[in-house]
Amino acid sequence: MTSVVPASPRKDRRPRGARRTAVAWLFLAPFTLVFLLYTAVPTVAALGFSLTDLRGMDLRHPFAVDLVGFDNYLRLFRDDSFLRDLLNTGLFVAVGVPLTMGIGLALALALDSGIRRLRGVFRTVFFAPVVTNIVAVALIWQYAFHANGTVNEVFGAVGFAGPNWLDDPDLAMPVVILLGIWRNFGYAMVLFLAGLQAVPRDVYEAAAIDGAGRWRQLRHITLPLLVPTTLVVTVLLTVFYLQVFDEPYLLTNGGPLGSTESVALYTYRQFGAGEFGVSSAASFVTLLLIGLVSVVQFRLLRPRT
Amino acid sequence: MSNMSRRSALQLTSGMAVLGTLALAGCGRGDDTAATASAKPVDSSPAKGTVKVWAPQGDADVLAKVIKPFKAANPDLDVKFTLIPNAEYYTKLQSAIAAGKGPDLAQFFPEAQAQFLDPSILRPVPDGLVEPDSFFKSLWDAGVVKDVAYTVPWYAYTYALVYRSDLAEKAGVKAPTTWAATVPFLKALQDAGAAHGLGADIGWDIFNGQDVAMYAWQAGGSLRSADGKWTLDTPATVDALKFNASFFTSGTADPSGPTFLDAQPYFVSGRTACMITGPWVVGQLDTAAKKTGWTTSHVATAPLPAGSSGSTSFAGGGTWGVLASSGNADASWKLVRHLATPSTQVAQYKAYSSLPAVVSAWDDPAIADQPLLDAFLTQMKTTRAFPQVSTWQQVATRLGKEMEGVAKGTQSAEKAAAKVQAYAESLGSGTE
Repeated sequence: MTSVVPASPRKDRRPRGARRTAVAWLFLAPFTLVFLLYTAVPTVAALGFSLTDLRGMDLRHPFAVDLVGFDNYLRLFRDDSFLRDLLNTGLFVAVGVPLTMGIGLALALALDSGIRRLRGVFRTVFFAPVVTNIVAVALIWQYAFHANGTVNEVFGAVGFAGPNWLDDPDLAMPVVILLGIWRNFGYAMVLFLAGLQAVPRDVYEAAAIDGAGRWRQLRHITLPLLVPTTLVVTVLLTVFYLQVFDEPYLLTNGGPLGSTESVALYTYRQFGAGEFGVSSAASFVTLLLIGLVSVVQFRLLRPRT
Repeated sequence: MSNMSRRSALQLTSGMAVLGTLALAGCGRGDDTAATASAKPVDSSPAKGTVKVWAPQGDADVLAKVIKPFKAANPDLDVKFTLIPNAEYYTKLQSAIAAGKGPDLAQFFPEAQAQFLDPSILRPVPDGLVEPDSFFKSLWDAGVVKDVAYTVPWYAYTYALVYRSDLAEKAGVKAPTTWAATVPFLKALQDAGAAHGLGADIGWDIFNGQDVAMYAWQAGGSLRSADGKWTLDTPATVDALKFNASFFTSGTADPSGPTFLDAQPYFVSGRTACMITGPWVVGQLDTAAKKTGWTTSHVATAPLPAGSSGSTSFAGGGTWGVLASSGNADASWKLVRHLATPSTQVAQYKAYSSLPAVVSAWDDPAIADQPLLDAFLTQMKTTRAFPQVSTWQQVATRLGKEMEGVAKGTQSAEKAAAKVQAYAESLGSGTE
């Protein structure tokens, strides 16, 4: 027989009121400090700089430059190069995002169902490009797509003369986008795999008992339940492609004829040229674009309740 | 976060934005900090204290060895070198100057130093420190703004023709002396066995822009008018763009290569037969050919073919400037003076093949006895300095970019010139 100990009022160890808020701020302080120092202040400063004619050597007296209002923004939109780079960046997003997601999803579905036993191996293989050094990868791709490179050697072996991929304005962009996709599909795959593993198995079992085949299960269970993951993947990839820099910089340096130049590359070049005002304005246009596209994506893809 | 906290955070963020913008708006660009510089003569007493020297990696790598005699004569002097990767050099220097933590003495490039020629950044060269006429004129001029000299030339280079003499002999042709003879010469080299006559620069960057500027001078143009306006949409610039493009459109140069690192292997293997390049190449071809004496038996040099206004080239190299913030300007200038002496310049040549900026140093047998350098000396005497305005590098880069379209036939030379002119006008000189 067990004795029942009368319940004593339990002492609440949680802090209350002002103390609770103070503790919360204490825990938040490290992040807040880092955020303020490295994100908020530079962002606000960049917004200010974008409204001035700040140039390289003016950094000696950053508060003694002339305020030029929106001149830098107007200059951007009057610059053929910037408009071309905006279009190029749009192309990166329009082609890169769906293809990266499509490949990532297809592989995640394959790994989640058919080839479970080798899932670990394939997950590693497909994720390898995400963690591989992009500089080394870009060099290999340069050799591969060179006029006398590996890709054309393969074409040559089957009796077809390959083009000069990276020197042709029509072909360079597909190669650069391909590198972006290759680098990111593993990332999308891992996120989709996590999403798939969160889908309860008994839902599939119930559907199977009701006679739903694999296709119907995919269409009516898997895909709808993957919407939150899809939203995250879409937004992350869109942000990545809107800021795409490494691939065009390392593979083609924006060429030929500026056909692979992105807005991030434009921003970088302006900064390198000491045009801090214009560079800041270009970075703000990117920020606005990312914000705008993300809001649209959240509205279109958010799970309906 | 409570509502109050959220509001506080918003207030903080918007406050910072307003403060930042107001601070920027509040004061327009005033006069630069008054020069702390003094142009008073530098005496001949021993240099003392510490001199911090910054330079890009390359020609300065051997400086510690080259200045040993100076160190021996100035035992109380400590020279601390910081060598920075070339591509990052100006960015790091700019940041350091902006932060007030720059070195005492810094190396500059005469073709790209205009942004630093300001009394708030560099001290004027003291009277009598060096003899301006002893240097190649364009190198000295590159450091002069409003009659004030801010830099002292150190080493020099310019472009000339470096070509395969064996192939030229086989084809029975001599180096071209005019624009009109250039493409036929290159075609003859191709007929003698080269895949392409010219290994052209295909970076489509600032270096191509400098080439176009050089050709514009040869065609009688100037990049800026006497009253400081950009003059880049002139017939001379159009001719320059067309001349540069003629190498590609005639098939004597390949728009796909060689790229920078391939230039010498291509030349040595005969895939290309001519380069428009600097004097350092002469000393490197034996290594590329893996055979001592290969250069002597296979290579010749010649001044650049002349346009309607002559065979003008640009002056490149290295210069030294003492920063306005230097705490030991006296010792810094003494070191600069030593670096500008003919004997030090010859020592630098022997250590790194940096050709002297002092004209008389070229008479030293170490240089004078090398016939392949003659063309470069001839060319050095007809060089000009690029515009001493801070936006020149941006304009030259844009010229290089537009050049690509002309070379590949996607835009006319006239349109490219007009676009560069509009771009340059939108930038101004960077100082007004």
